Amino acid sequence: MPDWGREVRKRLARLHLDHEAEIVEELAQHLEDVYQRSLRAGATEAEAKNAALQELATDDLLQKEMRRSQTPFKESPVAGGPTNSNFVADLMHDLRYAARLQRKNPGFTIVAVIALALGIGANTAIFSVVNTILLRPLPYKDPERLVMVWEDATRHGYPRDTPAAANFVDWRDQNQVFEGMAAIYDTSFNLTGSGDPERLEGRSVSANMFSLLGVEPQIGRVFTAAEDQPGAQRVVLLSYALWQRRFGGDQGIVGQSLTLNGESYVVVGVMPARFQFPSSDDQVWVPIAFTQEDAGNRNRHYLQVLARLKPGVSLAQAQSEMSTIAARLQQQYPESNTDLGAAVQPLHEHLVGDIKPALLILLGAVGLVLLIACANVANLLLARAAVRQKEIAVRVALGARRWRLIRQFLTESVLLSTLGGLVGLAIAFGGLVLLKAFIPENISQTREISIDLRVLGFTFLVSIATGLIFGLAPAVQAARFNQIDTLKEGGRDAATGGAGKRLRGLLVMAEVAISLVLLIGAGLLINSFLRLRNVDPGFRADNLLTMRVVLPDVKYETMDRRSAFYTDLINRVQSLAGVRSAAVTTNLPLYRQGNSISIGIEGRPAPPPGQELIVVTRIVSPGYFDTMSIPLLQGRQLSEQDAKTTPRVVVISETMGRRYWPGEDVVGKRISLGRIRKPEDWFQVVGVVKDVRQFELTAEPKPQMYLTYRQAGFFDARDLVVKTDVEPASMAATVRNAVWELDKDQPVSNIQTMEEILADSIARQRFSMLLLAIFAAVALVLAGVGIYGVMSYSVAQRTHEIGIRMALGAQTGAVLKLAVGYGMKLVLAGLVIGLIAAFALTRVMSTLLFGVTATDPATFTLISLLLIAVAVIASYIPARRATRVNPIIALRYE
Amino acid sequence: MPYKLSQMLDRELKKGSAELLILSLVEDQPRHGYDIGNLIEQRSKGRLRFNVASLYPLLYRLEKRGWIQGRWVEKAGQRRRRYYRLTAEGKKVLAAQRHSWREFVEAINRITGIEHA
Repeated sequence: MPDWGREVRKRLARLHLDHEAEIVEELAQHLEDVYQRSLRAGATEAEAKNAALQELATDDLLQKEMRRSQTPFKESPVAGGPTNSNFVADLMHDLRYAARLQRKNPGFTIVAVIALALGIGANTAIFSVVNTILLRPLPYKDPERLVMVWEDATRHGYPRDTPAAANFVDWRDQNQVFEGMAAIYDTSFNLTGSGDPERLEGRSVSANMFSLLGVEPQIGRVFTAAEDQPGAQRVVLLSYALWQRRFGGDQGIVGQSLTLNGESYVVVGVMPARFQFPSSDDQVWVPIAFTQEDAGNRNRHYLQVLARLKPGVSLAQAQSEMSTIAARLQQQYPESNTDLGAAVQPLHEHLVGDIKPALLILLGAVGLVLLIACANVANLLLARAAVRQKEIAVRVALGARRWRLIRQFLTESVLLSTLGGLVGLAIAFGGLVLLKAFIPENISQTREISIDLRVLGFTFLVSIATGLIFGLAPAVQAARFNQIDTLKEGGRDAATGGAGKRLRGLLVMAEVAISLVLLIGAGLLINSFLRLRNVDPGFRADNLLTMRVVLPDVKYETMDRRSAFYTDLINRVQSLAGVRSAAVTTNLPLYRQGNSISIGIEGRPAPPPGQELIVVTRIVSPGYFDTMSIPLLQGRQLSEQDAKTTPRVVVISETMGRRYWPGEDVVGKRISLGRIRKPEDWFQVVGVVKDVRQFELTAEPKPQMYLTYRQAGFFDARDLVVKTDVEPASMAATVRNAVWELDKDQPVSNIQTMEEILADSIARQRFSMLLLAIFAAVALVLAGVGIYGVMSYSVAQRTHEIGIRMALGAQTGAVLKLAVGYGMKLVLAGLVIGLIAAFALTRVMSTLLFGVTATDPATFTLISLLLIAVAVIASYIPARRATRVNPIIALRYE
Repeated sequence: MPYKLSQMLDRELKKGSAELLILSLVEDQPRHGYDIGNLIEQRSKGRLRFNVASLYPLLYRLEKRGWIQGRWVEKAGQRRRRYYRLTAEGKKVLAAQRHSWREFVEAINRITGIEHA
């Protein structure tokens, strides 16, 4: 008799079962029974043995089955069955099922994931910018208590003006609300000595600025109060970047001396890499060290003032205290302080205020793009749900509950959106690189933009929410599914029936409405931007090369020496091949910097305090107007003959003429700068030139005047501008060498073409416009695809009907009209909703607009037409296909 | 076989229904494995057959879930055999599975019936 136990054991060899002996015994018994039965039935021993062994089938089957029987309890095999409602087990099951489904339909999955990834990626990228710039606290200690304090000179059009030193000193000494106040002003330095001479942007700051911010240096120390006194030893703090770049991160830098503007400064410390204040350009800080004279000056308004609120003091309390002090100063110093208030502003608002509306609008816009993507994917899912009705029928028949089915569908959509989120994250990483290139550099914290935990959390939440949103429609649709109806419709698509069609129509309407809002928003910004580009700046920017050449006081002590240097420089540059002309000026247009001074007019009483005539003033070389192509309207330009010894002359802008001498001939009028002491102090107006947009393109020009550098005797020319016959950038090195031939230690910085300056001045507008335009374009494509998808589906469903119509002699045109008509009805309904929404929503962007109103009729009309055109094309293509159907085939379609 | 089921459908059906079959067979009296195997074959007129390699693992699985319980029984003149009986929980599961099965079969009939109409 065969040894059945051995046969069984052989097949269980690699399993370590708990009751192996018993199992072997039981199975052997069974085999023996089979063997005996075969023998009884007349089989030979060999045949009987064979029959018994066949019970064990293939050699590994038993082992496989036994292993399976050892694994833990598994769920009932019928999904959605009523027996079990273990949440986690169900979820795992749904997930596995969903994953299988996605693998089975790679095309569907790819399309849906791409649409979602674009939407989620764009949202992640924009949110990471918003997160860094608006949400992340500033990298200072208790940043919410940091404020800027300004002079409120609303009367002169400057609600936040830079304070004068004497006012700062009084504020600081009289207030009870701040822990401390620090004054700051822009200073730039010529660094000479080791290596090429270099122009460094920096700040003169009160010694306590660093402790107010609560930052520590990387190495060394910050300034002491004693160093913040006139006559103290000159000391300097370096930025990390400068330390690394220029000094190779030399640990021994502290205590070494640098030559800045021709004077020796001792390095006391290096700030950490992340530190920037107030701007990321700053590379050095020196103590401000007010002299007695500085500290008493109420007329030079040039400081920025940082302050830290005492704990428990509110912004409103601080504002009220500062207003009280400012009012007292008005009483005390009516000459200088009439109508001068004080304005307290949170530091965060000061650093990011301007870009906030644009960022929030962009965030809203990407949100809308995502909604459109959701609508598209929902449509795809609806179509697929229709195909899956047999599956649903079986489940419902087995007693699957509605909620359980909805959950299954939602699990599928959330799985899709999570995939979309993962791919979207990759897109966001790439997108951020692009974004950083576009985002204007002068915005605080731009360098810090990154994807951090908060952004990841945002992406995760958005992904889940997205899945729930676009999954809801198909899920509810599926759960509403009525078995009997479906069966009655002969197993065909129930979603072609009423409810499904309505849902799909609604989704298309929503897509059209949302994309219309986006397109109109983008249209308004593009329109603004074009208008901005078309603003006449008052000069011609082409073929202009500019660079900054600031002479150090120590080396060029007198105005005469400075004038001589600039005269030499201009002559030298003008003799270069390829140069048409060259000039110098105190400040180039559109740099958001420059001086304004108050003037007196001959024959008129001095205006009362607070109503001074403030004029934007530029000190230039006579060739400036020709070089910049600023048209002369009246009289003559400044000339080479206007010198120290000849009568003083001034060229004014048309606005200045119109405002101060309305209806009069201005040439020959005389003005004074400040108070007149001697008859020869008068400046005579010799010419009128066109207005130049000195500060920004969007601001209406203020009164402006130009003095020649040979007569002005104050301010310091610093920007060189060169009109070239060739591509201006190609002349940069040649012109710089001309400077170095005159003075090999003279740094040259900010080498830019005028066109670059012009472009930089509208970088913010370009940033918002470009991004919104991109989002709107994506929205348009998504909406177009959405309309196309729904129309294709609808036409496919009606192939039978169309076939009959064609067979009965309907003309192609009529059929086309029928099919396109349905699409257009949806589109027009969406259009109406979108127009109403756009009307309400575009108002929020009115601060970003220039030259157009938020409800610009032309934009609204054009964009609507564009959308209609896209919609017509998207519905026409599938409709056209329908008319080509062979009626015979169409009728057989059933 | 009077008609041919595709191999796959055969396998799937068998897998889905095996538990139900076993639970039904031990409902009124405890039975040993050989007995269960024979009954399935006889009552299905040979259309359903479980070999040792799949029958016993299934029995152990059901036992592990607590739906049936096996016990060694010795009878005079015979080697001892392991008899399986339905537990209280097994009774509930059997009722539920019978219900499901009936609904499933009805659903399939309705759908397939109409499709062939």
